[in-house]
Amino acid sequence: MSRINPKFGKELKKYGATEFNSCYNCGTCTAVCSLSTGDDSFPRSMVRLSETGNEEDISASLKPWLCYYCGECSSNCPQTANPGELMMSLRRWLTAKYDWTGLSGLMYKSLPATIVAMVLIFAGVIGYAASEGFDAEKVMHIGHYFEMFAIAGVFGVILLPNLFRMWYFVIFKPSRKKTAGKAESETEYSSRLTNLLGGIPLRVYLTSLSDFFLHMFTQKRALGCDDNQKRWFEHFILVIGYLTLLFTTVFLDWFSSENMFVIILGYLVSAIVFIVTFDFVTGRIKKNKEVSKHSRPSDWFFVIWLFLMGVTAFLVRLFIDFNIIESNFWLYLFHLTILAQWALIIVPFGKWTHFLYRSFAMYFDKLQKSAAK
Amino acid sequence: MKKKLGIYICACGGNISDYVDIEKVKDAVKDEDCVILAKTTMFACGDSNQKDMDADIKANDLSGIVVASCSPKLHLTTFRAVSERAGLNKYNYVHANIREQASWAHSDNKTGATEKAILLVRAAIAKARLAESLEPIVIKSRRSVAVIGAGVAGLKAAISLSRMQDEVFLIERENRIGGNLANLDTISPENISGKELLIRLEEDLKKEKNITLLTNSEVVGNSGNIGDFTLTLKISGSEGSTTKDIKVGSVLVATGFNSYIPADGEFGFNQIANVITLPQFRDILRNADSKKFVFNGKVINSVAYIYCVGSRQVKGENKYCSRYCCTAAVQASLDLKKKYPDIQNYHFTKGVRTYGKQELIYKESNSAGDIYIQFLDKKPPIVTELDGAISIKAGDLLSEKKEIEALADLVVLVTGMVPDKDTSIGSLFKLPKGRDKFFNEIHMKLRPVETVIDGITIAGTCQGPKNVMESVNSALSAAAKSHSFVSKGELELEPIVAYADKSSCNWCNACSDACPFNAISKIEAEGKEVASINKSTCKGCGMCLPVCPTDSIELISFTNKEMESMIDVLAQ
Repeated sequence: MSRINPKFGKELKKYGATEFNSCYNCGTCTAVCSLSTGDDSFPRSMVRLSETGNEEDISASLKPWLCYYCGECSSNCPQTANPGELMMSLRRWLTAKYDWTGLSGLMYKSLPATIVAMVLIFAGVIGYAASEGFDAEKVMHIGHYFEMFAIAGVFGVILLPNLFRMWYFVIFKPSRKKTAGKAESETEYSSRLTNLLGGIPLRVYLTSLSDFFLHMFTQKRALGCDDNQKRWFEHFILVIGYLTLLFTTVFLDWFSSENMFVIILGYLVSAIVFIVTFDFVTGRIKKNKEVSKHSRPSDWFFVIWLFLMGVTAFLVRLFIDFNIIESNFWLYLFHLTILAQWALIIVPFGKWTHFLYRSFAMYFDKLQKSAAK
Repeated sequence: MKKKLGIYICACGGNISDYVDIEKVKDAVKDEDCVILAKTTMFACGDSNQKDMDADIKANDLSGIVVASCSPKLHLTTFRAVSERAGLNKYNYVHANIREQASWAHSDNKTGATEKAILLVRAAIAKARLAESLEPIVIKSRRSVAVIGAGVAGLKAAISLSRMQDEVFLIERENRIGGNLANLDTISPENISGKELLIRLEEDLKKEKNITLLTNSEVVGNSGNIGDFTLTLKISGSEGSTTKDIKVGSVLVATGFNSYIPADGEFGFNQIANVITLPQFRDILRNADSKKFVFNGKVINSVAYIYCVGSRQVKGENKYCSRYCCTAAVQASLDLKKKYPDIQNYHFTKGVRTYGKQELIYKESNSAGDIYIQFLDKKPPIVTELDGAISIKAGDLLSEKKEIEALADLVVLVTGMVPDKDTSIGSLFKLPKGRDKFFNEIHMKLRPVETVIDGITIAGTCQGPKNVMESVNSALSAAAKSHSFVSKGELELEPIVAYADKSSCNWCNACSDACPFNAISKIEAEGKEVASINKSTCKGCGMCLPVCPTDSIELISFTNKEMESMIDVLAQ
């Protein structure tokens, strides 16, 4: 049994779901959704949980991550309750719920907080460069190391614990609820380890890994959305482009590389990043599709910063090749600022995590379904 | 003179002919005595066949018609009209039902169905041979109407009748008019209060010259029949009560409803503090402080409404939907929120029925953050006290039927309508009641304001739950119907009535006891007491016939001779 908590709905409004209360539970959204199935039926069920404020069930649910936001539900909603945006808001709320630091929630709910953080990082970058006397070579060298450490630090300190929390809410806690009151010997789990792993045998964890990588790199499930081929393709090359750019700059040291292949690869992938994100930004400005109609600050920051990252990286390398980077050192500082803001704010506390949680959601979903069999 | 009969056997587009061999039926009856013409037809009720019948009657100088088709409920009047158009008295038309009684009833046995159809048509022919031409009974009618009950339906009906120049007696039991209307607050979707509506009606009433308003008056006696009723009124005044007789041509009953009062313990009513009914809630809200909503010394921050209390009961008697309460409850919750915006409303419903334009206030309430829980019949809300608040638990259909709980400071039981507990008018006029114990119309769609008692119409919530708009609609409809009874000064009645043979009757009271319409009275004739049947009141139901020990009563058009001739055919 759960007690109705109307405060949850009010909280969720701060994450962008402003209209879901109009829902009269007709289920049109679920009927038109091309990803909803008998076992995983949404969005109506999630709207209902949000209305009644059932935080526990929402925290344990993977459904928000199973939605890839084609917007059909919102276009067809007779009450204009905007279920698509509710699912998006639930993803934001879940992100905040998984985040142990609490900063995700703060940034989602408060634009000023995000701006303050952005400004602080900007000041930090400029302050550091000033302390080095704006020495291009030195700053660029440290900048490269910063990237490596930022990635490792953010992943180890924030993302990994958050993923563990996600696993705890989705897999472990519900399994405990199921076995509550039973002695360990009475549970259906075959071993103590399985019990510790939330009722799912280790073997299943391993055999399901292929699904995890498949979804992480391809977002295959998004193809299930109707008329989504273009958006999926853009997204696909953006992910590949972004990951390759990360690899090229961090591990192949693109900005210092003499290798022709690395140089050209860098140009190519940075161009992909800014071209695709340019299309995303203009889409959000034009609002011509349901998916791009409702943009929250977190959405803007994500696409714009990704775009800026691509553009500035491209230009920095171009300036290096034309040997004018030292006389135009501001460009590198701009790039570094964007990079630092991206790595320290948007990646750990912003929309970037959706990429990670989605992949893990597909993985956990597979785990649950395999274990149920 | 020997009758000349025409027989038509209908295929009903296959409904009959798929199971009954209609050609065989035709062949079986075409040589019957008096039959000079027998035909089959695809659709007897169709325009072309009606024209053929008309031509046949004229060309062959037919003196009787039999159509074997569907139930007479559907097309008796159709073929009577055909006969009249062709210049044949309509009572020479006899209907045989070979669809409901043969083809549909015996679709598994085609031979048997055909045999039965043949017998049914032969029996109809036997009756048609003996059928007589009849003329309608014409009676005088007074141009005045009594309207009983001065609620919104009665007021509206009285004003409407007065505007049609009928004399109106508006009779009200209470000392004021308005009935339940005066207690209603905001009425959706017009957003007008019951009080404002009543003021408007009072003003309209004052302008009407043909209305005699009688408050503190009860109808205690009724005699006469359509066109000429005599009602006895008991009028209470400061100096005791007086009686008065009024004479009217029609009576319009608009006696309204009572609000359901929950039983002790029903959803905690009268057992848990702060569990109240919707009318009580309205009273409290009307008089509540404008800053804080305090009830029973407690500041109210959340209110739960439990719908369908006393309506749509699974276990109780009231199976019906009271129609107005969903809208009234949603409206009340909106009014509450308008006054105190921070209050949280929870609605425990059986499915919200804010139909038509009322849907708009449901949407408004929903969008404003009210939470609706659709409880299951199997898991109705359980109301208990919990830590100084009230806990309401129910299975929620919309949350995968899981049990869900709300905590509220006040529980409002959304009570429906029940029939007026004063049943005197119903008994006095012998008005039939439906299973819901409200007065019953003849047919909810085709004759929605008439009762089986000629001349008596019903309007408003005495007939069944209605909202204000529906009450007004039915009042205007009933007014038009009552007006049609009195407007011409005379009335034509169906001549199929019973009559008693004075020579063989020895008054024994049996027929009078059996008559559901009070049509039989005792008179002195030929030096003895005999039964006399009032032609205007008799409905020709035949209840008096079998109880008569001396077989002195005959029913016109269903005489013993006619019935026996039909039975003879069927028993062959």
